[in-house]
Amino acid sequence: MRKKMMNTSMGKKAGIVLASAFGLALFSAGPLVLSASAEEVPQGFKKGELAPEPAADMIEAGKRVYFTKCVWCHGVDGAGDGPGADRLWPRPRNFNQGTFKIRHTASGELPLFDAKKPTPGQNDLFETVTHGLPGSAMPSWEGILTEEQRLQVLSFVTTQLVKDRKFTDKQSESQTILQMADLKPKEATEESKKRGSELIVEKKCVECHGMEGRGDGNAFNLKDDWGFSIQPANWHKCWNFRGSRQDPYNVKNIFRTFSTGVNGTPMPSFADSTSVDDRWDIANFVNSLCERDAQGNPLSIDPQTDKPKVNFVLPSNPVEGEIPTDIENEAWQKTQKRLIAMGGQITHKPRNFVNRIDDLWVRSLYNEKSIVYLIEWDDRTKSVAEGKLPWAPTQVNIDVKEQDPKTGEEGSIAAHQNNYAVYNDAVAIETPVKWQDLPAPIKPRYLFGSNEQYPVDIVKWEADGSLRAFKGTGWDKDFEERDSYEENLKILKSEWKNGRWYVMIQRPVGNKKDQDYDEDTLFEMGKYIPTVFFAWDGHNGDAGRKMAVSAFYYTFMQPPTPREVYIYPFVIAGGIVLLEAWVLTRRANKRKGKTL
Amino acid sequence: MKALMSVGALVGAIALLLLVGMILDVVPSNTVRLVEGYMPIQMLVEVACFVVGFAGLSYMLSSMGMAVPRFWQGIGFWAFVLLYLKFRVYPPIPFSVRAMYGTVSLVAVFMWVSANEDDWKKFKQPIMNVLDAQSGANKMLRYAYLVLIPVLVGFTSFNAMKPTSEEPVELRTVHPAPPASTKVHGKTYTLQTSQNPYRVNPEGKFDQEYSNKLIVEQGMGRLMAPNANPWDEKNQGYLKYVKEGGEIFFQNCHFCHGDNLNGRGLHAFAFNPIPANFTDPGTIAQLQETFIFWRVAKGGIGLPNEGFPWASVMPPWEQHLTVDEIWKVILFEYWHTGYYPRTWD
Repeated sequence: MRKKMMNTSMGKKAGIVLASAFGLALFSAGPLVLSASAEEVPQGFKKGELAPEPAADMIEAGKRVYFTKCVWCHGVDGAGDGPGADRLWPRPRNFNQGTFKIRHTASGELPLFDAKKPTPGQNDLFETVTHGLPGSAMPSWEGILTEEQRLQVLSFVTTQLVKDRKFTDKQSESQTILQMADLKPKEATEESKKRGSELIVEKKCVECHGMEGRGDGNAFNLKDDWGFSIQPANWHKCWNFRGSRQDPYNVKNIFRTFSTGVNGTPMPSFADSTSVDDRWDIANFVNSLCERDAQGNPLSIDPQTDKPKVNFVLPSNPVEGEIPTDIENEAWQKTQKRLIAMGGQITHKPRNFVNRIDDLWVRSLYNEKSIVYLIEWDDRTKSVAEGKLPWAPTQVNIDVKEQDPKTGEEGSIAAHQNNYAVYNDAVAIETPVKWQDLPAPIKPRYLFGSNEQYPVDIVKWEADGSLRAFKGTGWDKDFEERDSYEENLKILKSEWKNGRWYVMIQRPVGNKKDQDYDEDTLFEMGKYIPTVFFAWDGHNGDAGRKMAVSAFYYTFMQPPTPREVYIYPFVIAGGIVLLEAWVLTRRANKRKGKTL
Repeated sequence: MKALMSVGALVGAIALLLLVGMILDVVPSNTVRLVEGYMPIQMLVEVACFVVGFAGLSYMLSSMGMAVPRFWQGIGFWAFVLLYLKFRVYPPIPFSVRAMYGTVSLVAVFMWVSANEDDWKKFKQPIMNVLDAQSGANKMLRYAYLVLIPVLVGFTSFNAMKPTSEEPVELRTVHPAPPASTKVHGKTYTLQTSQNPYRVNPEGKFDQEYSNKLIVEQGMGRLMAPNANPWDEKNQGYLKYVKEGGEIFFQNCHFCHGDNLNGRGLHAFAFNPIPANFTDPGTIAQLQETFIFWRVAKGGIGLPNEGFPWASVMPPWEQHLTVDEIWKVILFEYWHTGYYPRTWD
């Protein structure tokens, strides 16, 4: 009720503002157009007015919001150095310089913010707070803070925490606004996308974003204005686009970013050098790269996490004879691909706060003897360890300081970024041994195994070409290598191409007769076999327990459709026919008896 | 009477149009909000409206000489109940529940149409007509049913028998019973008598009232109380420790439990089930501070076998945090959500 009232009063205010703005525009339209053409505004942009300073009571109210919700990451002075900052990647924004990434304004300008106008497309900072910045720790504050609270906190931030620039200073600030509402998206035809694919080479986008757009160009050499490592966007994961506004498949977001550039990063604005038409072609092409389902529809995105919704059953299809090793093979193409969501392992030392692998795509096939997992994931760098590793890649709880040094001090996470010892990229599949016998309370402890009695079976592939088997017996124990089992395993494929790994791992499904039931996982058809995935990014210093982990998925070896399924329905239908005949005869006899 | 019935008919027509709109997804199913707490009553009123409307409609139709046969009335009402449950109720109710309500209403419809011999005859009449197939249309219908019913039954049984792969349902206990005491960092804590050592006033004395006064405001977008900024450097006691707890929370816990303590942190999307939502009144608001202390210290691995099934990948935080740090984090969690911990009495 309260919210509604606020909305209507807001609406009224906005109405008055709009009406007066319209009046102003009527009077000043003539000179504006003149001055615009005189100053050479890029195509699609128009000169705009600076917004008035927010009222003092709004700033004061905003301070309370800031010190409850924002200070923990952005810091007391808004320098992006709150207690959480050192462990976040990407790092929280430093407000002091007034550098903001997501804008409708020309490169280098301040973003749009008007404390009285929460209108989409006309208030960049309000939209950022409302929808959050997907792919970072900045959540969507819609539903948590009221519209008014969001405007209040921004009033505080823009007036008190932005220190080097002033949002209302007409001497030093100008506003050149991208007229997004007037620009109709160009239809995403094959021709447009093809032109876009040529333009991204011509405009040198591929130098940073990579040949396939996986962000693997200059992946590990880029820094932002503050010297912190950043990475170019991966166009295949549009849900991680910082300015996607929780509408990741909307081509307008890409057009806007491309037109305005991303302040504070090496991403420039292409507005001066590229016509609006060309910009749409590029946006259409980039948008077409984002992952879609088998029918080509956008993946459904969970609005609370901004990531694709996850299905925890990984179906494995049966194959007659040999399992094909060629991804283009029909059997692979027809198999459902599942997204495996990956989080950083932050619960055991060494902890991975700067996780760089956030998902895998997995498919699976099986035959009588083996099961094959085809795992694909984006990794901007191919990492292969050289020489002797400082610590064994299966170690856990190695001696690292519990609290990493703060940024600026030696050994901090920020100082380490892009400067780690390079280990092997790696991926592992973990399945519990004796999962059929596990008593219920033991179950959730699969991660690295429960104890000696209920170990897990881990198959790990590494970029140096090795495929090894381990036994896991607990959270805080190193993996034990299983020497004899490796001859049963096989790498069918391992290739890194343009920022993506393609790895195909084969392992026996086992059978009760000649399998060591106490040590190997027995894969049974038609059963839900708990499966966990681990991934390591070698250039991120990932080794041992510093890695990405998934939740518990279920490998489900789809049984071939049993013959009964094709027989029983016919039997049942036949029975119904007989029943009908019986009812009809009975009715007919009854009627005869009556009439007779 | 007639006027009354026409009002009923009007209500019925509008209600039906709305329902059809919801079925076709033109009208969102939560247009008229179902109010939490009053939902059963609201639904009863709605269904009563529908019944009145239907009675009016049928009266009007029969007075215009287009009476709906009892048979179709019965079937129509049953179909209405099923559609209402599926499309009107938001959030959606699971199929198993709808199936139960459907069966109950089928029985009710049956009782209605078979209330007396006369009604029952009227109800059966169309069925009998098709069985006897006296007219050409009925003959056609009879042949159609003869073919359609076996095909439909065969097809449904095929679908039911075909193997599918859906995530197995696992029930879980959210709040298992805590032990009487717990040992953390070598010291034993009796959960019934322990208290948070940081819930103290500036003089350093345990003071529930003092901390209650400085707890954030209740309601949406909970904010710190005016002039109770934990970041104030002059703070002593409770607020100072809230800030220290917040620092620990944002260095260790928010990756899963979220910036707003709502279980939607940076890594939350990878979890199944997702991490606990502290802003939900069903979590920390229902628990004693010592229960949280035990859960944080021991993690998912420390949960008792008696309390299964549960699912938690929370690590035992005693491996990373000191006892003091755990108490401070808990202090922060209550401050930030605006809840008061439950007490033992």
